[in-house]
Amino acid sequence: MFVYEKKLQYPVKIANPNPKLASIIISQYGGPDGELGASLRYLSQRYSMPFPELQGLLTDIGSEELGHLEMVGAIIHQLTRKLSDEQIQTPGFAQYFVDHTAGVYPTAASGFPFSAASIAVKGDPIADLTEDLAAEQKARVTYDNILRLSDDPDVNDVIKFLREREIVHFQRFGEAIQNLRERLNQKNVYAMNPAFDR
Amino acid sequence: MQEQLRPGCGILPAAAPLANPYVPFQQYDPNTYGAKTGLVRGTLFPGLDLPFLGMVNRDEKPDTPMHELQALHFAIAELGLYLDTHPEDTQATELFREYAELYKTGYARYEQTYGPLCQKDAAQSGRYTWTQGPWPWEYKQED
Repeated sequence: MFVYEKKLQYPVKIANPNPKLASIIISQYGGPDGELGASLRYLSQRYSMPFPELQGLLTDIGSEELGHLEMVGAIIHQLTRKLSDEQIQTPGFAQYFVDHTAGVYPTAASGFPFSAASIAVKGDPIADLTEDLAAEQKARVTYDNILRLSDDPDVNDVIKFLREREIVHFQRFGEAIQNLRERLNQKNVYAMNPAFDR
Repeated sequence: MQEQLRPGCGILPAAAPLANPYVPFQQYDPNTYGAKTGLVRGTLFPGLDLPFLGMVNRDEKPDTPMHELQALHFAIAELGLYLDTHPEDTQATELFREYAELYKTGYARYEQTYGPLCQKDAAQSGRYTWTQGPWPWEYKQED
């Protein structure tokens, strides 16, 4: 189960509202490589992972991603506080505002709402862990791009933290694949699906 | 214990099945930052600290009880992921245990002064205080 702890993983303190930036960063809330997808991907892949160490790693990283979802939500919320009539007209934000006001809704920056089509659960551990390597890279690049687009130091402080977590997670998933592979048939690691075949 | 490599380098198997993805294994007993530096860097491990376009959080967060808790919790989570794939690293296990002890003490001290972090602790003062704000996502200049 999950128990809520009343603190963020990393402090989010954004002094200045900036709806334009919020409309970009929302992609890491509900976009194709965002934190909602990340948490659902790992927490869903756990069930068919064949070894307890791998189930544990997916549980731990999936839980951390829920904490990141909360942090990205906090960024969006703080960037859209107390907006003026002029600020809600900001191109790129007005289209969001008309449907969601200053609520936090899981969508890509393009306006495409969160879709489970952007994650995968294949039910085969090599396939799923390889998907996870790619997912961490794609999230890392999204944060790189946010750093290119944002000049707000309060936001970038948090984005740099989140970006670095993707690199660490990539490393751990890579190690998990090695851990898995060592237990498979060394002549043919694809001889069967260890999540399904007995 | 294996030969010490540069912090940013890991171990690959000498011979390994074809058509597989390989990420080098992080070496055992890796260098670590302290918890407060690790928090702002986003990793406890200098070898994995790979910033983009030289953008680095250089300053640690100001010493506040919340930042202290966040740094300790971060160190535990980061070492936890490391131990998930390196359960035999006794030094990292000891470090994990030490941070967990510090966190336990810091957590209790924080709750005494600032109120519950967890719903189960919400009536310790004799009153139910769980829903008293601010909640963590709200903007707070000070804390």
